[in-house]
Amino acid sequence: MNTVDTNEQSIKTKQNRNTKSLALWTGLWMLSLATAAFGPKFLWDYHSVITICTVITNLVMGYKMIMANKQHLQDLDELQQRIHLEAMALSLGVSMVAGAMFGLLESIKLVSITPNPSSILFVMGITYMIGMVLGTRKYG
Amino acid sequence: MKNRFKVLRAERDWTQADLADALNVSRQTIIAIEKGKYDPSLTLAFKAAKLFELKIEDIFQSED
Repeated sequence: MNTVDTNEQSIKTKQNRNTKSLALWTGLWMLSLATAAFGPKFLWDYHSVITICTVITNLVMGYKMIMANKQHLQDLDELQQRIHLEAMALSLGVSMVAGAMFGLLESIKLVSITPNPSSILFVMGITYMIGMVLGTRKYG
Repeated sequence: MKNRFKVLRAERDWTQADLADALNVSRQTIIAIEKGKYDPSLTLAFKAAKLFELKIEDIFQSED
């Protein structure tokens, strides 16, 4: 059986390579974020130069992770891209609505705790995962 | 849109994985097309027509 595009690299090969690259850069980004968060207090007693270096390293790792994710999405096939697009739309919409309301909760005296903006990352991640499950079931 | 993916594949004794490899898409995409849950892009439709050595309209038909 012939393939239609003999010059094209197999989608499986590309996806395996991209998944490994995304996992690597995500891992390094998380590690550099943890270093930037805890290093100043526990490792180098708030030495400014070292802290600036870890912040810059974290931003570089973040950039590499974003590029790896972009490549990962680009090399998905058309249905997989659609599933991710629908999941992103859900995630973005829910995060925007929930984030706006979450920010208001303290000022309108409904809660006494100070909202932490990083909580929205959890909402984003969870809704993205739900979106992926829904999309996979919809087209499966 | 209706399509004859499943019949054409069965006639050639290909598995879904074989067809997915030949069209360079995931098996999930072949399953969705066969079940009529996903209409492929024109590019993928042309690739399928080339692979099956048929015209696009011999593979895909409008439901109306």
